[in-house]
Amino acid sequence: MALIFPKSTDKYVKIGALALATAAVAGGALAMYIGHPRVIMTGYQPIQPVPYSHKLHAGDIGMDCYYCHFTANKSGHAAVPPTEVCMNCHTRVKPNSPRLEKVRDSYATGKPVEWVRVHRVPDFVFFNHQAHVTAGVSCISCHGRVDQMVEVRQVEPLNMKFCLDCHRDPAPNIRPVDQVTNLAWTPDRDPAAIGHEIMVARGINPPQNCSGCHR
Amino acid sequence: MIQIKKQLTGKKYWRSLDQFYQAPEFQEWLNREFPAEAAQPLDEPSRRNILKLMGASFALGGLTACHRPVEHILPFSKGVENFIHGKPLFYNTVMSLGGTAMGLTAETYEGRPTKLEGNPNHPWSLGATRGYHQASVLSLYDATRGTPVRADAKDSNWNAFTSYIQNLQSSFGSGAGLRFLSEPINSPSLAAIRKHTLTRFPAAKWFEYSPVLTNSTAQPVTPRIAFDKAATVVALDSDFLGLDCTSVLAVKEFVRGGRKIKDDAPVMNRLYSVEPQFSVTGAAADHRFRMKTSEIGAFASALLGAVQSQSSPLKVLGQGGRADKALGAIAKDLLANRGKSVVVVGPRQPAAVHQVVHQINQALGNVGPVVTYLKSVSDQPRPPIEGIRELAGEMSNGQVNTLVMVGWNPVFTAPADLEFETNLKKVPNSIYLAQDFDETAAASKWSIPGAHYLESWGDAVAPDGTASIQQPTIQPIYNGKTAAELVALVSGYKDQKAYEIVRNYWLSAIPGGEKAWRKALHDGILPVTAPAASTTPVFHTSSPAPSPASGFELVFVPSWSVFDGRFANNGWLQETPDPMTKLTWDNAALLSPASAKKLGVTAGDVVSIERNGRKLEVPVFVQPGQADDTVVIALGYGRSKVGAVGEGAGFNAYKIRTSDTFGYGTGFNITKAERTYPLVRTQEYDYQEEPKLASFQQDAVRPIVREATIDEFKKEPYFADEMVEHPPLISLYGDYDYSKGQQWAMAIDLNACIGCNACMVACQAENNIPIVGKDQVARGREMHWIRLDRYYTGPIEEPQVVTAPVTCMQCETAPCENVCPVAATVHSPEGLNEMVYNRCVGTRYCSNNCPYKVRRFNFLNWHKHEDEVTKMVYNPEVTVRMRGVMEKCTYCVQRIQNAKIQAKTENRRWLKDGEVTPACAQACPAECIVFGNVNDPESRVAKMKLSPRNYGMLTELNTKPRTTYLAKLRNPNPELQPAHAVEEHRG
Repeated sequence: MALIFPKSTDKYVKIGALALATAAVAGGALAMYIGHPRVIMTGYQPIQPVPYSHKLHAGDIGMDCYYCHFTANKSGHAAVPPTEVCMNCHTRVKPNSPRLEKVRDSYATGKPVEWVRVHRVPDFVFFNHQAHVTAGVSCISCHGRVDQMVEVRQVEPLNMKFCLDCHRDPAPNIRPVDQVTNLAWTPDRDPAAIGHEIMVARGINPPQNCSGCHR
Repeated sequence: MIQIKKQLTGKKYWRSLDQFYQAPEFQEWLNREFPAEAAQPLDEPSRRNILKLMGASFALGGLTACHRPVEHILPFSKGVENFIHGKPLFYNTVMSLGGTAMGLTAETYEGRPTKLEGNPNHPWSLGATRGYHQASVLSLYDATRGTPVRADAKDSNWNAFTSYIQNLQSSFGSGAGLRFLSEPINSPSLAAIRKHTLTRFPAAKWFEYSPVLTNSTAQPVTPRIAFDKAATVVALDSDFLGLDCTSVLAVKEFVRGGRKIKDDAPVMNRLYSVEPQFSVTGAAADHRFRMKTSEIGAFASALLGAVQSQSSPLKVLGQGGRADKALGAIAKDLLANRGKSVVVVGPRQPAAVHQVVHQINQALGNVGPVVTYLKSVSDQPRPPIEGIRELAGEMSNGQVNTLVMVGWNPVFTAPADLEFETNLKKVPNSIYLAQDFDETAAASKWSIPGAHYLESWGDAVAPDGTASIQQPTIQPIYNGKTAAELVALVSGYKDQKAYEIVRNYWLSAIPGGEKAWRKALHDGILPVTAPAASTTPVFHTSSPAPSPASGFELVFVPSWSVFDGRFANNGWLQETPDPMTKLTWDNAALLSPASAKKLGVTAGDVVSIERNGRKLEVPVFVQPGQADDTVVIALGYGRSKVGAVGEGAGFNAYKIRTSDTFGYGTGFNITKAERTYPLVRTQEYDYQEEPKLASFQQDAVRPIVREATIDEFKKEPYFADEMVEHPPLISLYGDYDYSKGQQWAMAIDLNACIGCNACMVACQAENNIPIVGKDQVARGREMHWIRLDRYYTGPIEEPQVVTAPVTCMQCETAPCENVCPVAATVHSPEGLNEMVYNRCVGTRYCSNNCPYKVRRFNFLNWHKHEDEVTKMVYNPEVTVRMRGVMEKCTYCVQRIQNAKIQAKTENRRWLKDGEVTPACAQACPAECIVFGNVNDPESRVAKMKLSPRNYGMLTELNTKPRTTYLAKLRNPNPELQPAHAVEEHRG
């Protein structure tokens, strides 16, 4: 019986199989990479209705985070401030700037400015700002150098691994409470050692059990 | 000691008649892991449906990956004083119900009230509540309240109504045709408007009517009984721990006075109960005697004779003759406790019996030290039905031109013989302030939406004169008006807005001006001097007893769920089982086992109750321990105009309640109707099989609830623990070290628990627990995290009752945890058995393996049909669970976490005792649930666990439960035969 395929076909079959396997592995790796929280969660940078620059306010002018986010150490939510807080200054500073149109409208009408949410922990998590900020975890640990961002973007994945990494070894992220909002804080020695001292002194022991965050 | 133990372990408890008789259905129920239909979906899925769903999920699965949904953050434009986003704010307010004002503290999140607690400053609440108060927050968000102003069955508006009233006012003249109908007024500002109205229109009349009898409607003064000063209490047809008193003061004082005992020097009060129905007061009694309502008067007279002549005249009284024989012993007990005992009588009894009871108390020297009489809060007290009878007569004669009704639903609740609905049609201008669009609203010319108490200004006075401001916590959701606003408009009062009415009244009534007003709002009580307590009672003259007649006696009681019917559309209350019958979503004609046998009916058979041509068809339920030839029926069910929740729930007992049978009636005929009706109750689903002990004790059972008499307890303090012998308990797993840190635990004092359900409703409110509906309760799918077990013991004619709140025991070696395939239920270092909803895949192994049967599975998405307004009741600190996950009591972990965060912020590592209170413990009027850190030797819970009465339920299974119980004690009169011998009674 004559051969239907020439002998050289074997070679192509092998190459084809290899190519398929490589493609599967590469595809899998690509999917894993794309699906990784660090890839899909970080870098989210929506356009806000008002071109508010954190870099200008928190960085260049040097306003304290608590000036606007004044509930961060009092409540679970580090709330976005009422329009009134913007107007504390902007009735005098650039009172007619067209970029502040929406803020002035909100102040006049009582309707909120529709800010777009950037940071979001997964469902079923009851994250509490107060617990973290008052323990000495700086804003920077989860939000990055917001004082250098013109438009805020998410820099950390904020997934469960991210949380647990720190809950298991909090020392590198613990600093004196009065330095929490100082994003440029550079200690003269190992921050983890300082963090460890504070943990021992204050008995900081973050929960690693489920109901610490889920309830 | 061994003898005691034998006796006690031999005591048999039973939870229903089916169990008592070991009915085959019961055995089948028991042997299943889940109820028969628990695993069935509502509708059979078809192949087509499954394919459709699969297709849809593939399509949607692709879509979700596209991009992250945009979420907005909407901050205030202008900041709100004191408001911190995410932190609750608390406002003191007051709720009026059944003639009592209860000071409450409302918890609000972002401007919406979500939870109510008792105001500890308020003397009639002392920090606790009843189930009604807990559930009232759900009524606030009831969408059926959303009916607009209606005129002549057409939608209208408030402006049209005000111009209508302004036109009408010119025709009032001196008010000859102007009538008002309200509930007994306990609001001083409304009373002021009434005064103004009756001055401006001297010929106008104001009537008060309440369908629920309280002791202040039985006599024009309110007896104030200091139960904490009474060593012996005799309750004659009185449910003072339960439905006869909507405040919690009586429970608090009774429990503090003699049920919370010191273990080293146990002193307990003694409660005798003589009653036709089986009430929670009867359940708490040391001696309970069943007696027809009509015989209570004769018993009271005999008791008076026995107390006065100090001998015991014998008359044939009571069923089984036991009460009669006991009379002498009761009198002797009362005489031995002169000046520190009390006889109380229920509001269903006529004034003559109240007089006799007053004489007994006087003869014993109790009037003064224990019983005082307070001036009625209402300034025109009349016998309960006289006002509405006069009004109905005038309406029928056409004397009423304008009728303003600001009390709840008189068409539904008025005595049937007054034909209120027919007569209302004869009134040309009928105006009704409707809480929802109910029977009266449908029959009136105008119906005005009424404001809920949590959304409007008002005030209320407790019977002792303590006044509170009813402070709103939210803007009126459906533009409701208050009674004061409506009457102020009709009568042209100087203030028209509820806020101005209340504020201006109190600014002129109390010294101190603005500052005093603000303090009153903050404290929740006003510094009003209480009226002097008098020792002279006043009695209504015209309150005759129903004349004796053959046939059945009918006793009308308010419902534990719907009260007088006003909570018919409140799902939390509808699904809360009755404390004794455990019926949900329905009422029934309760009959004693002997009466049921005589009629040839069993539970679920429909009977027709008839008297003077008025008829009601209602299913029967057999209540052990009830008086023979007596039917007990709960009012308030069978509403015809009600929202979706209350539709079809129960049977309207008002149909056969006439003005001569208002409290109870005689001469009812009962015939069996040849049909049945499915009644649903929660009792047997959660039945924990009483497992046989090890082989060497073949006949004994494991006691789940444990009790002894106080004398046995003195002899053998550790009786509860010694009731069970078991081999050494060894765990396969290594023991975790729980000696460090804060270890949460709970102790429940069964001696104090009265089984009132407040904990169940409080838990439902705190933990976003869904309701499932009658059909699903029948399948055993109710979701309550805490349940109240009610055990009978003794013969079915004269059983005794033990109640036990049962919730997740937070076992240290929890059997649920090691069967979970996905580690969705695990243990925390602080001893909590944690439930992680987002890990749960719904295998239900945990529930199978739980010996306490306290886990609840979401068979369906119970929250699916909730509208946007109802969702406002959710507690934002607790996850709303979806279909397919297991849930259970968490010890209110959200409260623990928030308290811990606050403490850490203040640099405290340990919480103070009492800093965290779970919802059940906070609501409990009997203070029987205590929670705390068991590693803190000074905590109340640690001290309670050192009590000799402390025992763990099923600890022989080596579950090491964190929740333990203090065994119940009884304080029987040694002269009396125990209510039943302790030996075997199983039929």
